[in-house]
Amino acid sequence: MDIITVRDLTVGYGDVRILEDLSFAVPSARITAVVGTSGCGKSTLLKTLAGLLPPLTGDVCFRSEQVDYLSEASLAALYRGIGVLYQDGALLNNLTLFENVALPVRMRQPDMPEAILREMVHDRLSQVDLIASAAKYPSELSGGMRKRGALARALVLDPAVVFCDEPSGGLDPITSGHLDDLLLSLKETFRMTFVVVTHELRSIERIADRVLVLNEGRLRLAGGLAEVRSSTDAFVRAFFLRKVDHDDP
Amino acid sequence: MDGNGPAVVVLPRRLRVEDIPAVYQEIESRRGAGTVVVDFGAVEEFDSSALALLGRLRACATDTRVVKVPAAVERSFRSSLGETPPATSCEGPGLDLPTRVLHSISVRFLAQMKSVTRFFVLLGDEIYYTVSFLRKRKGVYPGEIRNQLFFMGYKSYPITCLLVFLVGVTIALTLTGQLKLYGADIYLADIIGYGMLRELVPLMVGIILAGKVGAAVTAELSTMTVLEEVDALKTMGVVPARFLMVPRLLAMTMAVPFLVVLADAVGVAGGVLVARFSLGIIPSAFIREMQTAVDLGDFFIGMGKSLVFGWAVVVASGYKGLTVGRSAGEVGRATTESVVLSISLIILADCVFALVLY
Repeated sequence: MDIITVRDLTVGYGDVRILEDLSFAVPSARITAVVGTSGCGKSTLLKTLAGLLPPLTGDVCFRSEQVDYLSEASLAALYRGIGVLYQDGALLNNLTLFENVALPVRMRQPDMPEAILREMVHDRLSQVDLIASAAKYPSELSGGMRKRGALARALVLDPAVVFCDEPSGGLDPITSGHLDDLLLSLKETFRMTFVVVTHELRSIERIADRVLVLNEGRLRLAGGLAEVRSSTDAFVRAFFLRKVDHDDP
Repeated sequence: MDGNGPAVVVLPRRLRVEDIPAVYQEIESRRGAGTVVVDFGAVEEFDSSALALLGRLRACATDTRVVKVPAAVERSFRSSLGETPPATSCEGPGLDLPTRVLHSISVRFLAQMKSVTRFFVLLGDEIYYTVSFLRKRKGVYPGEIRNQLFFMGYKSYPITCLLVFLVGVTIALTLTGQLKLYGADIYLADIIGYGMLRELVPLMVGIILAGKVGAAVTAELSTMTVLEEVDALKTMGVVPARFLMVPRLLAMTMAVPFLVVLADAVGVAGGVLVARFSLGIIPSAFIREMQTAVDLGDFFIGMGKSLVFGWAVVVASGYKGLTVGRSAGEVGRATTESVVLSISLIILADCVFALVLY
């Protein structure tokens, strides 16, 4: 079953089109990787799916409900079902890691008993192996720790879909591998859906069930890894197999 | 160059960045008279600026013809610049100067109108969110109002007191000579009391808050915007305009009375000090005389004005912080603009108060 459906999506401002005429679906309880060259619109797509950037034309449906970007109620329903891991973590610098992870619960469920909230945050921080750093501020954490902390925050309310903007970007292979393991385990255990923007081919090979390949704002391919490997599209081949067809325009 | 045929420009053997301006100027000077033929045949030594020139000339194919391009230049051109579209059109300016100026003015005017609309939308949102928070006590991080109060009140009072005291001293010293001339020394108390409580303290407190608190609020919020923290709040279902602004507005509302009382006291103290040492007026006489000119209404007018100025600072700085672009360089620009906007709003509001109250 598809949890997100996108039809004829065009995103941009003024006369500039960043994404043009995209149509695809994100299957539930699967990891979908969004790949493409820098500046092709991957992060813009993520922002649009996360309700932050209204499209010029086209529809985004979340759990079969069309997202109305001008309606607070529609966006609130979307936000209740998603979590976002931003490229640099985007943890609030004036709060400790514990308070950052607790923030979505405090804001959405102000009457949550403190003891339960502490358990929830503790569980998520254990999952990302950051219990020892709970009292630290984001400025005292390394880049990898900030990303894991931000993932804990994105997961704390058990969202149906988690959007991850370059989760492995700037991380060493070991930390990046641990992050991949975590996404796979969350998918298996909690049947969570992930939409991951990444450049890391090794990570895509390991975790992705489905791949969306973007080039210059257009969708070049949407399919499984087998389809990617057998694709005859010059761009897809160049991107994944590093085979450049010189006669391709 | 043949008298009837096209103008021919033969390029030199060496065509590097320092040779390009003269060559280009020569080609341009001949373009007006008809087609120009540019002969690359002699070019042996070249760099990327020569390739850029070749690209530009080929883009202007209607009145320029490039001939005898050596194989080496052609190869380099194809591998580096061949696929790149020309950076600028070779058509020249399409609109005349007055039209361009008018177009530029209208674009800026529309952008300013859009900014003004967004400012008033934010102002309306803030009023709504603050009233709804006071009724429901939801949507604001616990403890944040206390943190902001500490920053806006406790951290601002030393500089506020120092500056207002110095203003009190300066105004008193300025007036002393003139008042002595007319034997009206004692009226210094009336002027200082009335001027400080109703005008100078509100204005000084507003301007100090704009420089100290407003700049800090904008820098903080715009950095949060650039680092995607504001986006993160939105996707957590948190309304940034409520979560970030309501604590600041409420903290400002609580900090301003505290600052105004202190500033009134030290401002008048500056006047008392000058009266004592310059005019020989004892403090008790100064205060007694001041009480004949100033009443509690003046104190509350000053307080009300200061509150409005404080709110203007928070809304202006919040507006600038939350509408910043996505680059780090915009943080500095937004901070500067926030201080300018805050001070402009303070002076505008002060002018409105003067029209209404005097």
